[in-house]
Amino acid sequence: MTQAATDLDPDAAQAAIEHCYEQGWSDGLPLVPATRPLVDRFLAAARRSGGEVIGSLPQLDRTVTVELAAINAAMAGCLPEYFPVVLAAWEALMHERAALGGGWQSTSGPAPLLVVNGPVRAELGFNATGGVFGPGFRPNATIARAIGLIVRNAYGIHPHELEQATQGLPGRWSICLAENEEDSPWPPLAGEAGLPTDASAVSATLLRTCEFVDNRHTASAEQLLADFADTIGRSGAWIFRNASAGIVFCPEHAQLLAGAGFTRAGVRAWLAERCGRSTTDLARVGKDGCDHNGVRMPASGDSGEFQRMLPNAERQNLLIAVAGARNAGISMVVRLFGNWSGTAVPISVANQEES
Amino acid sequence: MPNAILDPTGRAGVAAAPRPGLLLATRRPALSGLRVGLMDNTKHNAALLLHEIGKLLVAEHGLAAVTVEATKANFAAPAPAELIERYRQDCDVVITGVGDCGSCSASAVADGILFEQAGVPAAVICSDAFVVTADAMAELRGAAGYHYARTAHPVAVLTTEQVQQRAKQLLPEVVAILRGDSGGRPPGSAQSARQ
Repeated sequence: MTQAATDLDPDAAQAAIEHCYEQGWSDGLPLVPATRPLVDRFLAAARRSGGEVIGSLPQLDRTVTVELAAINAAMAGCLPEYFPVVLAAWEALMHERAALGGGWQSTSGPAPLLVVNGPVRAELGFNATGGVFGPGFRPNATIARAIGLIVRNAYGIHPHELEQATQGLPGRWSICLAENEEDSPWPPLAGEAGLPTDASAVSATLLRTCEFVDNRHTASAEQLLADFADTIGRSGAWIFRNASAGIVFCPEHAQLLAGAGFTRAGVRAWLAERCGRSTTDLARVGKDGCDHNGVRMPASGDSGEFQRMLPNAERQNLLIAVAGARNAGISMVVRLFGNWSGTAVPISVANQEES
Repeated sequence: MPNAILDPTGRAGVAAAPRPGLLLATRRPALSGLRVGLMDNTKHNAALLLHEIGKLLVAEHGLAAVTVEATKANFAAPAPAELIERYRQDCDVVITGVGDCGSCSASAVADGILFEQAGVPAAVICSDAFVVTADAMAELRGAAGYHYARTAHPVAVLTTEQVQQRAKQLLPEVVAILRGDSGGRPPGSAQSARQ
């Protein structure tokens, strides 16, 4: 229940918000000041002990507890019932090698990609359809933001200090998609990652950027996939011997591919063979060879030999999800920072029966 | 009485308590005859730059030899204890770097401090584009003001000849850091160095 507007004290709220800015806690936008009663509701919603440690960065001597995650989630604007999703998203990120090492401090300034599956999407009101990469929906926006605030505050990684992103990227701390399972021809992503197909779960990885593929006029699955192969195989994102990627298909593209007999694995196999560039093309951009650490460097390549970008056709190296409206053939290629763990974490909404 | 606003950092009160100044390894005013170790962090040109500095230390300052020349596998994390121990046993001074990215610059400074704590004077080399994060790590490790050698960014694009040139440019500061010359750093604590 929202109190009648006349009973509220906006001046006190403004002062509390300014206090949060002054402490250096904000990502730039206003925060919800967290209090004991509010945070206790978060802990109750997840039925987790506040003292439990859920992450640590030994090199910075910092840890994240459930309590700190709850405070940051509250400040991000989450509702208490979102907190189990925040915890599952955080745990899923802890399966990502880069998130355990120096990823949060990196010059690449990666953005978490969170993908939510299962009944929790409808229960909490996630957006899975139109504008799924954009703003407008509280769970999508605030759960992604909560992750950013945990990194900032619990890990103490602030921009220009321990965070050294050269440019960062649009969407950092704001990409949380619910998969459009209703319009998807394929099982849910969490199902592919080994969970029951009706599980509420979060999959997560880190992105370097997103790039759209707009193709509305071919009925050929091969032509459509070739358009993705061209975009995925661009040299700019290719910095090691191989590079991994992902695709968030719109329903129209996914359905066209499924109609032609393509499963997720089939799409990956087709693209793994065809995403890449010739050595000559790579020589033109100074990336035709690799040093002993596998970093792409200028060599003396002038052969027409085709170099594959993806290391193989495993899901870890080509994450495939389905989201967005069924109104146009517009999908998103996502650039992974490293690869994806290939796992999903179930959301335990402990008090579901009581609500 | 309104409810208190909760602190999201877990550090309420922690920052207020000053950490004691970290004791650095005793400097080595006479470098002649000492064994030097080089620890690179996989960053492009790092191994070459350290190798060139090692050669110059032997040729121009009379160090005995480069006794350990190894690579730290994970540039983002501080060196594992076994690796630090290997240098402690076989070297009198260590050169490490190159701090040339977000996490590895901070980690290079953390490594320098680990060497210092093991009693081995260290000269850390960082790109000048990462001074803020390197300093932040020093402060985090209780060694605010820890002195390291800076070199102009970028390092990764340099040719072999340019790297050799950089090594020559860096040599006086590396020597000063290891000897504890003024302008280099302190025999004593990082804190005293700040003054």
